[in-house]
Amino acid sequence: MATLIINNQKYELNLKGHETLLEVLRDHLGLTGTKTACEESECGTCTVNRNGKAILSCITLACAVEGEAITTIEGLAKEEILHPLQQAFLDYGAVQCGFCIPGMIMAAKALLDKNPEPTREEIDYALDGNLCRCGGYPKILEAVWQAGREMKKDQELREITEPLELSEALSAKQPQMFL
Amino acid sequence: MATTVHKEYVNPVGKSVPRIDGKGIVTGQTKYAFDVSFPNMLIGKMIRSPHPHARILKIDTSRAEKLPGVRAIITAKDTYNIKFGSNEYFFPHTVDQMALESEKVRYVGDEIGAVAAVDQETAEEAVRLVDIQYEVLPHVVDVEEAMKPGAPQIHEALNNIAVILPVNFGNADRALKEADYVREDRFYTPAAHPAALEPHVCVGQWEAFSNKITLWSSSQAPFKCRDALAKTLKMDLNDVRVIKMAVGGGFGGKLEMLPMDFSACLLSKKAGGLPVKICYSREEEFLSSRRKHGMIYTLKSGVKKDGTLLVMTGEVIADGGAYCSYGPTVIAAAIMRIFMVYKIQHFRITGYRVYTNTPISGAMRGFGGVQSGFAIESHMDLLAKGIGMDPVEFRLKNITTPNMVTVNKMVLTTNGLRECIDRAIQAARWKEKYGQQKHLCRGIGIGIAADVMGAKMYKSHESAGSIVKVEEDGSVYLFTGAADTGQGSNTALAQIAAQELGVSYSRIRCKSGDTEITPFDTGSFASRVTFISGNATQRAANDAKRQILSIVAEELKLDAEDLNIVSEEVINTKDHSRIMNFDKALELCYSFNYGRQIIGRGSYNPKTTPVDFRTGEGNVSGSYGFEAQIAEVEVNKETGEVKILKMWDAHDIGKAINPQSVEAQIEGSLAMGIGYTFLENLQFDKQGRPANGNLAHYRLPRSMGMPPMETILIETNDPEGPFGAKGMGEASLLPTSAAIANAIEDAVGVRIKELPITPDKVLKALQEKEQSEKKQTA
Repeated sequence: MATLIINNQKYELNLKGHETLLEVLRDHLGLTGTKTACEESECGTCTVNRNGKAILSCITLACAVEGEAITTIEGLAKEEILHPLQQAFLDYGAVQCGFCIPGMIMAAKALLDKNPEPTREEIDYALDGNLCRCGGYPKILEAVWQAGREMKKDQELREITEPLELSEALSAKQPQMFL
Repeated sequence: MATTVHKEYVNPVGKSVPRIDGKGIVTGQTKYAFDVSFPNMLIGKMIRSPHPHARILKIDTSRAEKLPGVRAIITAKDTYNIKFGSNEYFFPHTVDQMALESEKVRYVGDEIGAVAAVDQETAEEAVRLVDIQYEVLPHVVDVEEAMKPGAPQIHEALNNIAVILPVNFGNADRALKEADYVREDRFYTPAAHPAALEPHVCVGQWEAFSNKITLWSSSQAPFKCRDALAKTLKMDLNDVRVIKMAVGGGFGGKLEMLPMDFSACLLSKKAGGLPVKICYSREEEFLSSRRKHGMIYTLKSGVKKDGTLLVMTGEVIADGGAYCSYGPTVIAAAIMRIFMVYKIQHFRITGYRVYTNTPISGAMRGFGGVQSGFAIESHMDLLAKGIGMDPVEFRLKNITTPNMVTVNKMVLTTNGLRECIDRAIQAARWKEKYGQQKHLCRGIGIGIAADVMGAKMYKSHESAGSIVKVEEDGSVYLFTGAADTGQGSNTALAQIAAQELGVSYSRIRCKSGDTEITPFDTGSFASRVTFISGNATQRAANDAKRQILSIVAEELKLDAEDLNIVSEEVINTKDHSRIMNFDKALELCYSFNYGRQIIGRGSYNPKTTPVDFRTGEGNVSGSYGFEAQIAEVEVNKETGEVKILKMWDAHDIGKAINPQSVEAQIEGSLAMGIGYTFLENLQFDKQGRPANGNLAHYRLPRSMGMPPMETILIETNDPEGPFGAKGMGEASLLPTSAAIANAIEDAVGVRIKELPITPDKVLKALQEKEQSEKKQTA
């Protein structure tokens, strides 16, 4: 039995050694918001956050993230309130077919959590591993930048509350958060 | 009243309202075909040819059948051996593909059968255990080799030419003699791939006893898919249900039924009705879906000294791959788009659509126009240069005008091409920059284009249908057959419905692309949806509105003709007085005395004339859109690298239903165009297999390469369009490569005639230029 902590929720799972985090999320837990377009780390659509960092779930073995804080696209909105990134993607028209969007948002979240005021170059660099075939990059960049501004506004509040919620869920293992 | 009415979304046409499906997408809740899963679902895998060209001698599935976990195996003997194709109406002889091939395979990857098993590993193992004996035949990969006498014969087509299209108007030979300046150029555009991020994926299920099938699919054209399934499975249309899920991009690649769709249904039948999912790997996607035709353009044209474009002649050779798919109409579109752009009277271009033993070429965003756009718009700059004329002046002298009939009988009504060019050159400050920045290795280039925005390209009719159903609480359903593949058509159609019905956009819910419950629609292609499905939707909303107004009129003893619904209020149009709000009107419709359901219906078929593809004559589309694009570049003479400083795009879209979505489509077109100009090049090895068929080696544009873009929307209000709208989504992609190539010539004086434009090609051209200059001075 392995314990995975996904979106602040504990899951006790029988993992096979070769199973990727992507397979576990999609096939075992029904969290199909995380996509893949290549299964070989080229497209970025499978991006999730591990302890606040963007990782590719298609090349991450599930057993390697045991006890660590995994956040997927399903874990961002709190009840009816969208995360500032999700709201900005809607407001600035960054959504087209949407297949890349969960990965884009998770890659951007890892950036903005650390640096809510990124430069264009920093956003480019953070999203360089994420393909959007609709070519929606200008609006995606705009949305990420605008979301950063929103996130900075309530950063103080989030710094107080969020780690507390996480630490409750992570009682089994001492987490290395937000490195 | 159940609906929350957002007042800011009243009169939504022309406003950038949020996407109707946006919340689901940003929260990961939206279900794509990729995400569809059922208990006891089997995994299917295609059995493919390892040979580029071979006769099938014997298929032995017995070892695979014995493998534990295998539930069904199908080959051609389980089928009716009925061929399918996509140009059945216009080119019946090009219907050339079997759902599963029984006699011959024509490319590496050709489908021979399929396996369904309990999991992916078992299905893959079973495919390996199927024993097929072949007689390997000689094959041909290169398109020009394939046309030579004595080349391996792939189908029953002389010299492997599936379609010859000789388009001929005026007297080209005489006009060439009368021209003051004549030049000939040869352009090469490579194969490319739609590479939608969601691969081709479907789940098929056969309902035991009732003998019905359902296919959950990632499709741009669910009704076409239904047509092909019904034909190849010999079933009635209403026994085949195709449900389009959210689609993770199509770009032309998901317009057709593929053997995988057919196989998922037939495997399910053979497995006793268990659902079967087939999901392409990225390698299969490149190998066995649909790719863009590589084309070779030879153009010879003549102009007068005053800049009049007198005549154009030449030929186009398109590498079609193993089967015809949409090839015949692609090559027709590649040749005939020019008539929408330039007033040309003497014209003779022959198109050849040629079979090779390579993956199948079909539709891809731009539909032949990206290849012809590069060739023709590069050629136009060279012609202008030849007579010492500014390329903008040259174009302005020759472009089509509003209210004209072209030489091939296309009827152009509104035409914003001149305004597009004027606004684009103004924004880019063309006159200050053109020819003036060579000392900085900077240059500016233009390309223009036009496209059909409501064409009849599929069958005798190209109709779309919509239903608008208004519930008791005032909430509104829009049922449309149109297939939103991510471009936002559900949003635009909901805006049109709300505007026509006179209510807030927030009242509308949209169900689209389910062949069992939505009206017929041919699908998302040819930039047709806003125009054709939009018209159907406007009519359906109008019908629903008239039903409501007739009840209000009956109750209040008024003339229904005098009433309208505007901004959520029923008003008297004579004195603009308010009569009652929308909710009150609905209460009345569903009251004790009336109880009349409000169900509006609309159908629209564009006004066109039949196109004779032997001559190229006919008014193919109900609406035409226009486009001018400018690129400014900087070339590094040491490395050959080209940096785009900025792009400007002015697009006559009739009316922007949702300006934000229109901008996003234009920006996306530019991104794809930049990718095709610099990166994308699907190559094949000696066996005709993709040599770079994965996302590591087939390079797609990324955020980092995107230059600043400025979009300029030109609204010419097409009288035939819904609220004046034309279509859009493809035209902005057509001139991009040429605009960039033209800018490179302005910057450093070299002409690249072969895509993609790579640093080594630029360096080589620079070296050749230097050498020839040295020779001249010596």
